[in-house]
Amino acid sequence: MQEGKLPDEIKPVMESGIPAIVVTCSADGIPNATIISHVQYVDQTHIALSFQFFNKTIRNVRENSNACVALNDVVANTKWVMDVQYEHSETDGPIFDEMDMRIEAIASASGMAGIFKLRAADFYVVRSVRKVSF
Amino acid sequence: MIPGKILNFLENLGTIAVSGTRDANLRPHVHYVSGWDVEPDKQTIRCSIHQAYSDHLLSSLEENGQFALTVEQIGSHETYQFKGSYVGLDQPTSADFAAHERMRDRFSKAVNQVFGLPADLGRAYISGPSLVIRFSVREIFLQTPGPGAGQRVFPPEERNAGR
Repeated sequence: MQEGKLPDEIKPVMESGIPAIVVTCSADGIPNATIISHVQYVDQTHIALSFQFFNKTIRNVRENSNACVALNDVVANTKWVMDVQYEHSETDGPIFDEMDMRIEAIASASGMAGIFKLRAADFYVVRSVRKVSF
Repeated sequence: MIPGKILNFLENLGTIAVSGTRDANLRPHVHYVSGWDVEPDKQTIRCSIHQAYSDHLLSSLEENGQFALTVEQIGSHETYQFKGSYVGLDQPTSADFAAHERMRDRFSKAVNQVFGLPADLGRAYISGPSLVIRFSVREIFLQTPGPGAGQRVFPPEERNAGR
């Protein structure tokens, strides 16, 4: 377990184009597991997730800020599991613009151009990160 | 009961699955899934999980019973989320290992076709079952990206609800 500091080796995993997983929980205690197209590296203690149309995730983190994010590195046979906490959203700025471009590229590559529309970049602080490989 | 179209999806089309629980502090936890199978009552899903992804799993389920399973077909993006209640813990049976092998085959083919990754990497990525979570499905949600994402498909949403 690494407390809240993202190692450099996690950056290429975020940039690989392999979908990631987000698990959230509503205020009344119902978990929600979602597969998302992209996790954005912000700095050593923050990530951003795209707010497109996975509305239950968006609603959940606004009523219970806890979330768990898992990244997939198929080549290294490794998963990265992060406990994170929602902080705020941005609808413009450099992180938003970078995510918007990347999501459009992912959408085009997967035949879903025009469906993946970025509404906001949701910023999360990383509380812990662990690497799972065996 | 799980509708026939979705039973067919689970049996023949889903290529990757993840599950989620939450603990007493409402902190969510992710658990990668090694395979899934539907029991004869067409209401209970057997969800295989490797030991490496079982942190907080049993303690959370014994505390509150809430379980979510999301299954996607890589490529088409067809995705469903199953929410329900913990029924019990089992050891993997030969049928669970067979379900794991079917998922592994479909996953390795999909990541090869969609991401260009060698099929043997895909096979290695899906770990074998260590335990089986049985849960009773309460609701199913469509999660395929697009306008219908988030719609409950089982039980069907009432069209005039709230009017």
